[in-house]
Amino acid sequence: MTRAVLSIALGLLTAASAQKVQTPIPIGIALAQTGNVALLGQEQVIGARLAEKHINARGGIGGTPIKLIFQDAAGDENSAINAFQSLINKSNVVAIVGPTLSQQAFAADPIAERAKVPVIGPSNTAKGIPQIGDYVARVSAPVAVVAPNAIKQALKLNPRIKKVAVLYAQNDAFSVSETGTFQETAKAQGLDIATVQKFQTTDTDFTTQVTAVLNSGADLVIISGLAADGGNLVKQLRQLGYKGLIVGGNGLNTSNIFPVCQQYCDGVIIAQAYSPAQPSAANQLFVKEYRAQYKKDPPQFAAQAYAGVQVVVDALKALDRKKDLAQWNLNDLRTALNKQILAGKYSTPLGELRFDKEGEILQKDFYVAQIKMKDAKNGSFVYLK
Amino acid sequence: MELSQFLQNVLNGLAIGSVYAIFALGYTLVFSILGIINFAHGAVFTLGAYFTYTLVVGQFENNGLLKGINLFPDGSPFSGTPWLFALATLVGAVVAGLVAVLVERLAFRPMRARGADPLLALVSSLGVALVLVNLIQLLVGAEIYNFPSDAYGQVQPALSFQVGDRVVIVRTVQIIIFAVSLVMLAILGYVIGRTKVGKALRAVAENPGTASLLGISVDRFILITFFLSGFLGGLAGTLVGTAFGVAGPYFGVTYGLKGLAVIVLGGLGSIPGAVVGGLVIGLAEAFVPAQYSAYKDAVAFALLFVILLVRPQGLLGRAQIQKV
Repeated sequence: MTRAVLSIALGLLTAASAQKVQTPIPIGIALAQTGNVALLGQEQVIGARLAEKHINARGGIGGTPIKLIFQDAAGDENSAINAFQSLINKSNVVAIVGPTLSQQAFAADPIAERAKVPVIGPSNTAKGIPQIGDYVARVSAPVAVVAPNAIKQALKLNPRIKKVAVLYAQNDAFSVSETGTFQETAKAQGLDIATVQKFQTTDTDFTTQVTAVLNSGADLVIISGLAADGGNLVKQLRQLGYKGLIVGGNGLNTSNIFPVCQQYCDGVIIAQAYSPAQPSAANQLFVKEYRAQYKKDPPQFAAQAYAGVQVVVDALKALDRKKDLAQWNLNDLRTALNKQILAGKYSTPLGELRFDKEGEILQKDFYVAQIKMKDAKNGSFVYLK
Repeated sequence: MELSQFLQNVLNGLAIGSVYAIFALGYTLVFSILGIINFAHGAVFTLGAYFTYTLVVGQFENNGLLKGINLFPDGSPFSGTPWLFALATLVGAVVAGLVAVLVERLAFRPMRARGADPLLALVSSLGVALVLVNLIQLLVGAEIYNFPSDAYGQVQPALSFQVGDRVVIVRTVQIIIFAVSLVMLAILGYVIGRTKVGKALRAVAENPGTASLLGISVDRFILITFFLSGFLGGLAGTLVGTAFGVAGPYFGVTYGLKGLAVIVLGGLGSIPGAVVGGLVIGLAEAFVPAQYSAYKDAVAFALLFVILLVRPQGLLGRAQIQKV
């Protein structure tokens, strides 16, 4: 019995290693389509699909179309691991864009690393993601680079700020890493951290935290969480009478918080790695296509997922010019693709991108925006100089 | 702890505790009649909030299959004053009650007819819960929907009282939740304690066999029980949704678990127990120091554990007497 299983396994292994690359070229997308993070995942799926449409409309890779294979990675580690395994072993993808959360990346990326399949993190901004392995890169700038800009901007708007209240979602790896950056920046700017409050991303009732913030006499509140909890927190802070400035982290950087905090979102300051106003041709085209379909400006998560797919495709194009993709054996292509991804330079909606040798994104343009609500439902991110 | 802080915590605890109480009552009703836990109760809670939202706003503009459908192109007739909003809440709760009746028909009755183990009914209700939650996501997406702030007219968002030199602030919505919950509890207490329907329900709970010999249609009263349970669950859903936003298809899950803790704490099948349990857990959570507030859920269950060690039958439950 064992022998039979072994020989079947060996057979499968040799079959896989000698496999040719399929056409259309399969690229794996492992994002949160269900679960509590689907809110962000849905935006990413939209971004990835737009990229696919755009690329195939322009002849794909040297005439060969690409095909995105979607596997729902939901919001938990197990689903991400299953999605990765299925994409690598069943769908034979050349690379994977995903997962949505940093927390999932720490669990699922090592699987791609062992299988030698390149992974592009579209929204993993926690510390240590590129260091997971040689095959892991990301197009989402780390919080340590993005977050400090927001605090500096808040101090520009109100130089008299002295005391800060910091709140973060303690069950989310990304928020924990972001709040660390926020707290260091606040201290470096000479601010006094009056209170640090924790919550869970699944929380809806923040009365306890808000009461503590009000009692601490803070004149700046900094929130690291996701859209639902972050938006609710903003709303309850304002309803209970907090009047000072609020800085939101990357998780609040989505138009999805508008329906949550409604008119109370007004004035929240958010540092961003993407702006629809970014002038590059690649971005203006992306914004135009997105607006045509969704009647609003694209959010950062859509832009980053788009950029993730684009990076994979541009690297594949470079390889295809050397040797027709259909001639490659799958494993060799995955390895060569990983090298090519790290070597290339890309003009994406995020502006010009490169990677360092670990797979960390090198990005030029960052923004700080302030939310302006037109009415209870519609708002926009207005860019501050 | 200062007096003002103490009062603040008590108010916060009572508001959320009263929601736990009416939510848990739905669990308890079904348990006292059928002796099973209906795991779909959390999903019915979520649905209640979505039904009310549908009436008040009329459209889900972000995602899902219902995107682009607007029930009220000229504005919703259920929006604009507190009374209209209350009406929408009632209708939403009634529809949630009907969903609970449907759940009984699909998940519980076939099991009962075959005389299946109560555990199977529990698993089957868990299945129904998953189907409902995913159905919500399919229809309206995973976005958070918040009731527009003008839906219930011009209501002050918060009230503040001076206590000594400190200020205690309560959101208006918390006071409303508390008041509505009390009224509901009073009505339910009256129905079960003083009316014919209540008598029949108690008879069915006591002994279904004997009740049907006395001419009580057991199946009909089981349906009534499920309707009441779903009504309370849906009402709690709207109350929480109004206070904190309709936080996506999954937002009933935590309440489902919390409700379980509440009824075990209060004593399984005990109606006053569900109320006391809800308030105790709400207050316990409110008194968790702010910097540890993320551990609120853990505190609720730790409290449950401790109380069960001392009183295995729960606070107001009756000790089980084994007939030999």
